[in-house]
Amino acid sequence: MQTTLSPQSLGRPGFASDLRALWAVVRREWTITMRYPSWIIAMFIWPLIFPMMYILTARALSGPDGSGLQVFLNTTGATEYIGYIVVGTTVWMWQNIVLWDVGFALRQEQMRGTLESNWLSPTWRFAYLLGHTGPQLVSMLLFVSITAFEFGVFFGVRLNGNPWMIGLMMLAAIPAIYGLGFAFASVVITMKEANAFVFLVRGLVMIFCGITFPVSLLPGWMQGIAKFMPQTYLIHGMRAAAFNNAGIPELAPDLIPILLFGLFWLALGYSLFVWMERRARTTGAIGQY
Amino acid sequence: MEITTLSQTNWQTQLRALYVIARKDWKVFWRYPLNAVSSIFQPLIWVTPVYFMGKAFSTNGQALGFAGYTGSGDYMSYILIGTALSNFIMTVFWGMGYALKEDMDAGVLESNWLTPISRLHILVGRTLTSLLTTTITSTVMLIIGALLFGFKPTGNIIAAILTAIPMLIGLYGFGFAFAAIVLVMRDANTMVDVSSFLVQGLTGANFPVKSLPYWLIPISLMLPLTYGFDAVRGWILKTNTLLPLPVEVALLIGTMFLMLWFGSWFFYRVERNVRSRGTLGQH
Repeated sequence: MQTTLSPQSLGRPGFASDLRALWAVVRREWTITMRYPSWIIAMFIWPLIFPMMYILTARALSGPDGSGLQVFLNTTGATEYIGYIVVGTTVWMWQNIVLWDVGFALRQEQMRGTLESNWLSPTWRFAYLLGHTGPQLVSMLLFVSITAFEFGVFFGVRLNGNPWMIGLMMLAAIPAIYGLGFAFASVVITMKEANAFVFLVRGLVMIFCGITFPVSLLPGWMQGIAKFMPQTYLIHGMRAAAFNNAGIPELAPDLIPILLFGLFWLALGYSLFVWMERRARTTGAIGQY
Repeated sequence: MEITTLSQTNWQTQLRALYVIARKDWKVFWRYPLNAVSSIFQPLIWVTPVYFMGKAFSTNGQALGFAGYTGSGDYMSYILIGTALSNFIMTVFWGMGYALKEDMDAGVLESNWLTPISRLHILVGRTLTSLLTTTITSTVMLIIGALLFGFKPTGNIIAAILTAIPMLIGLYGFGFAFAAIVLVMRDANTMVDVSSFLVQGLTGANFPVKSLPYWLIPISLMLPLTYGFDAVRGWILKTNTLLPLPVEVALLIGTMFLMLWFGSWFFYRVERNVRSRGTLGQH
């Protein structure tokens, strides 16, 4: 009797096997996420407590009689200060979470000692990074929805704009935000240090992009740097879409740079990954940490 | 033959164990020197948006609204002191709760637990290096803060440091209880971040607690740290305090003993439970 083996495994490279590998990473990430259910608490608490730090400081700066608040509204052109701060801090949190989740993805594998063995499998290696993005996008969508819900219910923040325009701004920002995450992941795996890099990148967003104040308050040289950061345009555009009822023509000056930055960061992210992969193979340093 | 090992448990071996843990952490800390740079600049980065936001609330450079709460319009000095103290709070949180999680992930918690060292000493040992590095980095941060934002201490710094000591020792009690929760939940990051933020928010690390919503003020006034922040600022910046300064200092000393007792009691209770369930090595 003759037995015919028909191996259907990831070892046969092809588009289907790449997709299967990607799906396996997505499923694994989902399983790990479910293993630590405290993220559910975080999902409800973080949207409140991070902006609260700045909102409460703003309350203190307003004074017991609220006299400082009118000065702020006049300076920023905002209609109310809570929504103004929440938009900025939410964008910052989005970038921050992506840096930790996507940017830290490969480093975590390295620390666990599984990166080298994963690297040896005949799979599409970018799937390890891309696989982190799927569950991350779903959780971020949930995160932003919870933010809008909580500040609407507890603080009476009302949108004065088209929610589709807010969605459009966020959609346009995905390539830039995640492209930066991809680039970051490759740098971290090479430098073997994640925390300091996350702190640096998110710090730049915090200082230059006007998360709690208008960029026009920055000194000239800082405004120059802010122009090179997609988050500046995202925050500005989202505030305009959410509270000033801005449409596509008004948002175009923000949308176009965001899309261009997206192209740049995706290309850079992928190139850095390819470079890192080649370097890892030649130096054999991928298992070291 | 005389055997001198850690298995001969006495105060000297316990001290040696503390030293060894601290030395290991010191080595690890300097193995990643970017961390040191980051811990100086990170707090400054966090207060920068407040600096510019404060400008948006100011008229002719004066934050008059803020002065209405504190008696001082120097909001940046107020916030920088809060930030420096918060660094120490974070050290106790991270130093104990997160260190346990690190050991769980590295797979060494169970073996560390088998050594004849007091478990609380292991926890305290993990904070020693962090306390030293936090002192260094916070001092540098305040110096840079003075150059960038104009940090201007006008009062009694020695009295402020003496006031901060019972507050920090009391925090260890809180850290023990928190470490116990990490042993059960097996996930430190979220809990450390969330609880640190909540505690800092409720105790007025970055703003006077009087500006909190009225329903949060009673919770804030029940936390000893609130009086710690308030008293230290009262000494250094001569701001209006919630209670007279001697009363606040007495309160801090009293709660220090209470928190240490409760924290260690809670930790040992939970730790016994985790050991009996055999879940110590799981993560």
